[in-house]
Amino acid sequence: MSGADFKVVLLGSEDVGKTSLMKRYIQDRFQCRPHQNTIGAAFASRTISTRGRQFVMGIWDTAGSERYYAMSQLYYRDAKAAIVCFDLTELVTFDRAKQWITELRNHEEDCKIYLCGTKKDVVDDGIKAPALSHEKALQYAKGIGAVYMETSSKTGLNVGELFQLIADECVLPSIHNRDDSIKLRPSPNKNNACCLAS
Amino acid sequence: MASSKSEEDVDDKGENDEGKHPEGNLLNFEPEVPVESMLVPTDNFDSFEQEAPPDPATLQDDDNLVECQKIARNTSDENTEDPDKNGTSRSMSELSLVSVESSEPQQVDDEVSNNSEWRSQEKHIFILSSAGKPIYSRHGSEDKLVTLFGVMQALVSFIGDDGDTVRSIHAQGTLFVFLIKGPIILACVCKTRESVSQITVQLNYVYSQIVSVLTLEQLTRIYEQRRNYDLRRLLAGAERLVDHLLIALETQPALLLGAVQCLPLASTTRDTITSTIVSCCNKIKNLVFAILVGGNQLVTLIRMKKFFLHPADLHLILNLVNSSESFKAAESWTPICLPKFNSRGFLHAHVSYLAEDCQACLLLLTVDPDLFFPLSEAKQKIVEKLRRASLLQSINAALAHPGTPVSQLGVPEARHFLYKCKATAQFWGPVPAPPYQSSEGAKRLLDQYRVLHHRLHAPSQPLKLLYLQDHAETMLGWITTGFELYVAFEPLVTKANAISAVNKILRWIKKDENGLFITNAPTF
Ligand SMILES: Nc1nc2c(ncn2[C@@H]2O[C@H](COP(=O)(O)OP(=O)(O)OP(=O)(O)O)[C@@H](O)[C@H]2O)c(=O)[nH]1
Ligand SMILES: [Mg+2]
Repeated sequence: MSGADFKVVLLGSEDVGKTSLMKRYIQDRFQCRPHQNTIGAAFASRTISTRGRQFVMGIWDTAGSERYYAMSQLYYRDAKAAIVCFDLTELVTFDRAKQWITELRNHEEDCKIYLCGTKKDVVDDGIKAPALSHEKALQYAKGIGAVYMETSSKTGLNVGELFQLIADECVLPSIHNRDDSIKLRPSPNKNNACCLAS
Repeated sequence: MASSKSEEDVDDKGENDEGKHPEGNLLNFEPEVPVESMLVPTDNFDSFEQEAPPDPATLQDDDNLVECQKIARNTSDENTEDPDKNGTSRSMSELSLVSVESSEPQQVDDEVSNNSEWRSQEKHIFILSSAGKPIYSRHGSEDKLVTLFGVMQALVSFIGDDGDTVRSIHAQGTLFVFLIKGPIILACVCKTRESVSQITVQLNYVYSQIVSVLTLEQLTRIYEQRRNYDLRRLLAGAERLVDHLLIALETQPALLLGAVQCLPLASTTRDTITSTIVSCCNKIKNLVFAILVGGNQLVTLIRMKKFFLHPADLHLILNLVNSSESFKAAESWTPICLPKFNSRGFLHAHVSYLAEDCQACLLLLTVDPDLFFPLSEAKQKIVEKLRRASLLQSINAALAHPGTPVSQLGVPEARHFLYKCKATAQFWGPVPAPPYQSSEGAKRLLDQYRVLHHRLHAPSQPLKLLYLQDHAETMLGWITTGFELYVAFEPLVTKANAISAVNKILRWIKKDENGLFITNAPTF
């Protein structure tokens, strides 16, 4: 039971904007209010269509706080794609992103990695200088066979594109093979059991 | 400290009045007590077992305390206070003196500790590691207080060297309370009227909050591996929980009483909500607790048959919900350790608000880390059923209700009261009316309750009945085997009127008991 056709996980340091990215994608909203840490992880899903078919994408937004690190496998296990976020203006978050990628490579070989530089608007508006060049991040991503994107949850830049790309690249190969199992999946037994008992 | 004069007045009168227990005139009925409670019954400090230290006044001759008392130049009983002298600065310099003896750096960081706003805070809470590393400071950034933390660590280890434990220091209107929990030291420096045992209970709560986010297992392991570990790395974001808990401790009677307040609902309504949740969850294995809360009150709690929830754990859950906006945004799946339930491990909590249009929060707690989706489905079904039965509306109506003021109870003599049912660890009180509506008024009322509570539960000499007359109000506290009642009256109320008011309150509670309290103990 997974609640969705495929699973995407958001990873990265505290405060890099994972929750904002999910919120922009799911609700098309952005709130600039003081940072509210995610506690554990949050789940949301959205239907997305790729090549004429609809799929439910389940997104796990994890907490960046170090204390949840020990639990992280619980959240990224069996993910088809991981969006590993770093704040374009904070170098330490890029280093942390690299660590996440190493860990994913070790534990979740089949998970595609999308390296995501967040808060692009802050850089574009000149509020803060970027902590590393676009080229450097891109080069790193290429080196590990990952996609690199720069997003802004404030303006919406590249947010929809990122998730669409994930759907296009991740859904088809595996889901196609499991077409039947998908139709059968919404576990009718469990549902009925609960209804009968009430 | 407002005025120590008035407090002495209180004490004097109180002492005189204690002799004349009017208990004989009080009705002697006790509200019905369920056979089994969903919450572990609490008898105040019982909930912290031996953790609350005995009143130091009773331990004057104890060798263990001699050391501490030598340190405070002016050892004073907690009831004698001297507000004329500058309590804080003297106390701080006393701390520095200690550090000279133990040859530790004694220069307290000037920037923060000389700041008058920082100094004027009534109550400081500090958390540090046994190696002296700052973990948390209630006021002021703990980074800027490194030296002060060093001093506290030196003090604790200096006394600890001889196998003693520093528990409290009483110095000129300032009380220092320490709680040493394995690798962690918690300290409170305050000028409030709280007692050592009350503050120790609070420090225990703060410690439980930390255990709740880390588990005792992890906490112990970290410091075993690295004594010098900076715990703030792991607690990032959780300071907010501690801040919020401390505010709750200062402003809400719930933690003082070791009890929770229930959202008032007709008992049939509550029962239907409960049975709806049970029916949607009873096929799910390993679900330990289902808890529905709203407006800091308990709507219902269902438990696995063999397990009970301790009110202290429920307070941590309420604190988590109240201080985490992020639960409102999306369905969450989070580890939580309930120290009284099992301090060594995490439970996994599915946390979600019922609906955009119903702001009650449902927590489904399990030991199974793979249960998110079954719980998510169950939650959806619960909401559908509650909606169809118009129960979301009932919850909303109860949440929107401003609360019952004491004036509606037909007890004109009483200004406010708190009634705690001991067996169920639940309490109820009317919504504060003047003069307790303002935040200062509410604070003063809670202070009065605290004094009353402490006197009634004083480990050295617990009382059953206490009547304290003050220029501001007359306070009555009464403890029976079934309940605790704390009442604030007009200052000039006569004893006869007070007694008749108490009887009226008890009758009213008895009448409305089924709506105000959860009197059954539902299980899956
Ligand atoms: N200007 C700007 N601010 C952003 C952007 N994305 C996030 N933020 C801000 O960055 C802060 C952190 O955002 P969150 O989305 O809560 O960060 P997070 O990664 O979920 O943090 P944790 O849950 O603690 O791991 C918030 O104050 C956001 O408003 C963005 O694209 N542009
Ligand atoms: Mg977040």
